[in-house]
Amino acid sequence: MVIAEKIKGFIAGNYRGFITFLSLFILWSGVTHYQLLSPESLPAPQVVTATFKEVFSSGLLGKSLGMSLSRIARGFLIGCSLGFLVGAAMGVSRSAERLLAPLINAVRQVPIIGWIPLIIVWCGIADMSKITFIAIGAFFPMVVNTFDGIRSVPHGYLEVARVFEYGRLRLLRSIVVPGALPAIVSGIRLSLGASWMLVVWSEINTRSDFGIGDMLWSARESSKMDLVIVCIVVIGAVAFSINELLGQIESRLQGWKRSCR
Amino acid sequence: MNKVGTLEVNNLNKRFGSLGQDVKVLDDVNLTVKPGEFISIVGQSGCGKTTFLRLVVGLESDYEGDILLDGKKLNGPDLKRGVVFQDHRLLPWLTIEKNVGMGLKNSSDREARKSVLEHIELVGLKGYEKHYPHQLSGGMSQRAAIARALVNRPKILMLDEPLGALDALTRMYMHQELERIWKKEGITMIMVTHDVDEAIFLSDRVVIMSSRPGTIRKIIPVPLARPRDRAGTDFLRIKEEVLKEFHLHTETPFSYAI
Repeated sequence: MVIAEKIKGFIAGNYRGFITFLSLFILWSGVTHYQLLSPESLPAPQVVTATFKEVFSSGLLGKSLGMSLSRIARGFLIGCSLGFLVGAAMGVSRSAERLLAPLINAVRQVPIIGWIPLIIVWCGIADMSKITFIAIGAFFPMVVNTFDGIRSVPHGYLEVARVFEYGRLRLLRSIVVPGALPAIVSGIRLSLGASWMLVVWSEINTRSDFGIGDMLWSARESSKMDLVIVCIVVIGAVAFSINELLGQIESRLQGWKRSCR
Repeated sequence: MNKVGTLEVNNLNKRFGSLGQDVKVLDDVNLTVKPGEFISIVGQSGCGKTTFLRLVVGLESDYEGDILLDGKKLNGPDLKRGVVFQDHRLLPWLTIEKNVGMGLKNSSDREARKSVLEHIELVGLKGYEKHYPHQLSGGMSQRAAIARALVNRPKILMLDEPLGALDALTRMYMHQELERIWKKEGITMIMVTHDVDEAIFLSDRVVIMSSRPGTIRKIIPVPLARPRDRAGTDFLRIKEEVLKEFHLHTETPFSYAI
């Protein structure tokens, strides 16, 4: 009963989004059916589906996706945790902010492509360089969000803590961290989004044994547009799921925030 | 030797420097508050009454003069002085029970829990222990804030326009509640307000402050029996006396318009 209700609610809230997907699919089918574009540049949906089944059952898709996810896991963990530590230090201490903020804000402006030469010279073209790219991409949103989250804890709450003679540790644990938590979770979400984008990008940029980005680029080089579309759909679907999942956590954490401001 | 909880403010001066300008906020403020007294500070916005309160709490520093509690100079905030702010400042991620227990050293032990529940009951929020602040109305939130300020059993409770954000009827109801809590706890209360009725209804003495720089213009005692009648002649006479200080007094009011 409860599950049925939930599904009903989900459909009622989201059916408009499905309509867009469906329209695009119909357009795609129409274009290929009447051969408005050559099958080489836009393969038909049934061809793409067949290719999907093929790479799925051969295990190629699973292996590629697995490799990409393992790179993300490593790069994201390094970048995200470093970002949290630096952002938290800057948020809590004015001198850490004065020391680090100018550098962070300057380096943050460099587009990730700008790092290619240095990273490749330092880390080679194997997994190491990909993980570094991902870590850089995951680092900055986390720094900014953690810092902002801590600094946006209302001053009034800090005064309440002063009146109650809170020590530094109790102030952090009871007021700063819970107050900054929603922003920190937003940071994790942005950071993970950047990681996913960068794994695909770095796999295209510096080739690797397996990986979803690599699979996409190999397909392009052998002009298999059906496989390219499979890769794009898979990349999109994974990113969408990650985003939805963290979005759920985020809105749950911000429940108190929305209704109290 | 006085009873504990005597607040003495002598020759208090406070300046704020902003944009190279030196602004005198408080000018030679002198006030002695006896233990158990209810004092209201009335004045227009910007007269320095909130600054005065914040100085007494210890949230502002750099002043000239003395602020003494039982003869001892105050140094920063401490648990002997509780505060209720205009915005309730309850932590939105904690339940009412946890919010009220915020000021206790170890809020989980039996003694502390008992005290928390007693104070929740004192302010009339029994049954709302597990609610979150956003589930409460403005008046209820302010009650919770009062419970939180009282749970450490401070000697003095400062209230910075505590009912300013409430509607007129809720405010009048809260006046009765505040009076009941004040009587039951026997605590000194100093309230900043710009509501003259509120000040007269609750206070033993009404302190009138003038603006720029903030000084005490007059202290008007309210020797009326409690609970007070807002429409009583004595009440209105004192109200007139207060309003005269703000030049809001009508010399020959008409009783009827024909």
